[in-house]
Amino acid sequence: MSMTTSPLTPEIVSHEGSAMVLSMGPQHPSTHGVLQIMLEIEGENIIKAEPEIGYLHTGIEKTAENLFWSQAQTVIERMDYLAPSSNAYCYCLAVEQLLGITERIPERARQIRVLQAELTRIASHCVWLGTHGIDLGALSAFFYCFDMREKILDLQEAAGGARMHPNYLRVGGVQADLPSGFMEQLDALIEMFPERVRDLRKLLQANPILQDRLIDVGIMSQDEAQDWSITGPSLRATGIAYDVRRAFPYGGYEAYEFDIPTRTEGDSYARFLVRLDEMEQSMRIVKQVRDALRPGPIAIDDTKVMPPPKETIALSMEALIHHFKIMTEGFRVPPGDVYQAVEGPRGELGYYVVSDGGNRPYRVRTRPPSLYNLQALKGLAPGNLIADLVVIIGSLDPVFGEVDR
Amino acid sequence: MPSTQTPPLTGTAIDPPALRPPIDDAAIERIEPANIHSRLTELKRDGFTMLLDLGAVDYPQRTPRFDVVYHLLNLRQTKRVRLLCGLAGDDPKLPTATDLWKSADWAEREIFDLFGITFEGHPDLRRIQMPNDWEGHPLRKDYPLRGPARERSPRPAFALKSNVQAGTPPSGRTLEALQRQIAKIRGEDASK
Repeated sequence: MSMTTSPLTPEIVSHEGSAMVLSMGPQHPSTHGVLQIMLEIEGENIIKAEPEIGYLHTGIEKTAENLFWSQAQTVIERMDYLAPSSNAYCYCLAVEQLLGITERIPERARQIRVLQAELTRIASHCVWLGTHGIDLGALSAFFYCFDMREKILDLQEAAGGARMHPNYLRVGGVQADLPSGFMEQLDALIEMFPERVRDLRKLLQANPILQDRLIDVGIMSQDEAQDWSITGPSLRATGIAYDVRRAFPYGGYEAYEFDIPTRTEGDSYARFLVRLDEMEQSMRIVKQVRDALRPGPIAIDDTKVMPPPKETIALSMEALIHHFKIMTEGFRVPPGDVYQAVEGPRGELGYYVVSDGGNRPYRVRTRPPSLYNLQALKGLAPGNLIADLVVIIGSLDPVFGEVDR
Repeated sequence: MPSTQTPPLTGTAIDPPALRPPIDDAAIERIEPANIHSRLTELKRDGFTMLLDLGAVDYPQRTPRFDVVYHLLNLRQTKRVRLLCGLAGDDPKLPTATDLWKSADWAEREIFDLFGITFEGHPDLRRIQMPNDWEGHPLRKDYPLRGPARERSPRPAFALKSNVQAGTPPSGRTLEALQRQIAKIRGEDASK
């Protein structure tokens, strides 16, 4: 089947009377990536908004089908590039369910994963808050946020070897134990965090200009939120306390105490406050994990899934064979299908993974929270001003690596 | 040259979801395409108020060839349901769910784009991830990992390399000729 429309001019909408069609993006500073929105406007008022996505489509799901189970994780981390560890976490949990080894993951590995997931959430919210502030002209918050994020990226680099895509979590555990000095760095972050969040709240939360821009803009009711399949902070800002960590606990989250921040207003300011509160709750979990961490194994003791430690392959024939087999062929996963979800920074991040018994995933379908959250723009934007559209996009916090995959 | 061949399928299972009892916390139902819309309506009435996700899987060696997978969530009772709907390989069609949930819009467009499954009654069924003039459906198993070579989308003429010529040294020329030369390099049609 072929269509003759040029990709440069997406087809759009009827326009009658005094309305005009404005193409916002795909290269526009406030669209947080490559998003194009075809707007039907009358003066400054939006009558209809039709987001056009796909500019960042890289075929990650197709690529993953052609890589080993462990290699696929590398591309999967690139989906939500602000929260790579959340993606890896969810994928690992799904594959572990298929392998039937969920119960055999050592305690320390689970704790480190929770730690990484929560640190990632804080780092991701830092980027959201900083860029959201910039959209509104509040520049200074950006520097506070990115400074804090840098501290978290330093921690990720220390643990996994890379700042942005550490690829630290593995099917069966984590790649290596936390390095020496990690705890001290983490303690420094824990110590600086409350004051930094207080600063951010002082800078933004009570700021009358910011309140003017956010309050009563992009209001979403509970019914609308469910209709658009909104999850995460945007859903909780309408008053529905749905959090995957509480509703369908995974990876040992039952052991930690945390609140689910909610608001009832459902506007951009409510989403803003929920995310700020969430950062503090995440730090609460980080502290609990930090106190609960005990020495122990960091990966499953099963050489069919996890390659044996490098130092053993020079000493043991068995270890050498297993290492060689996993590196050249990958591991095989029994056939079946599974849906696993985690609470990512943007909402329910789900993986529907199918295995046909081979050494490559048969199908990896992501449920990207950003895709569904962004889609709601069609319902939220009409009736607002163009300037408010910028606020609404920012408050939905889309990440385009994940929307387009 | 990159290979256009997909690696061979390494597994043997033709119908993986049928081989194993459910291992996650969702209730699983298999629904005929004819009944899917009424079942979705029923579930929505029973409290499954969110259509979390809509995906598809291609099993070329199996009849029916495609599975369209609906993930539903009941917020009040925190329960999940997964509906699997088998579809025949030639001219796969399903009724749309956009009348029940607005969120089905982009999900159905994505399945149409990447699998070639049509959703009847969808208000705006067109490609979403791939360019509008793309041929084929990349997530089908018979679509190669690296697609065929394809001409690039047309670019405005001034960006073409053939329009930009290296200038000869301006010695011994009049200023006018030099200006013409510069205009030619910039792609403005001043040479005639």
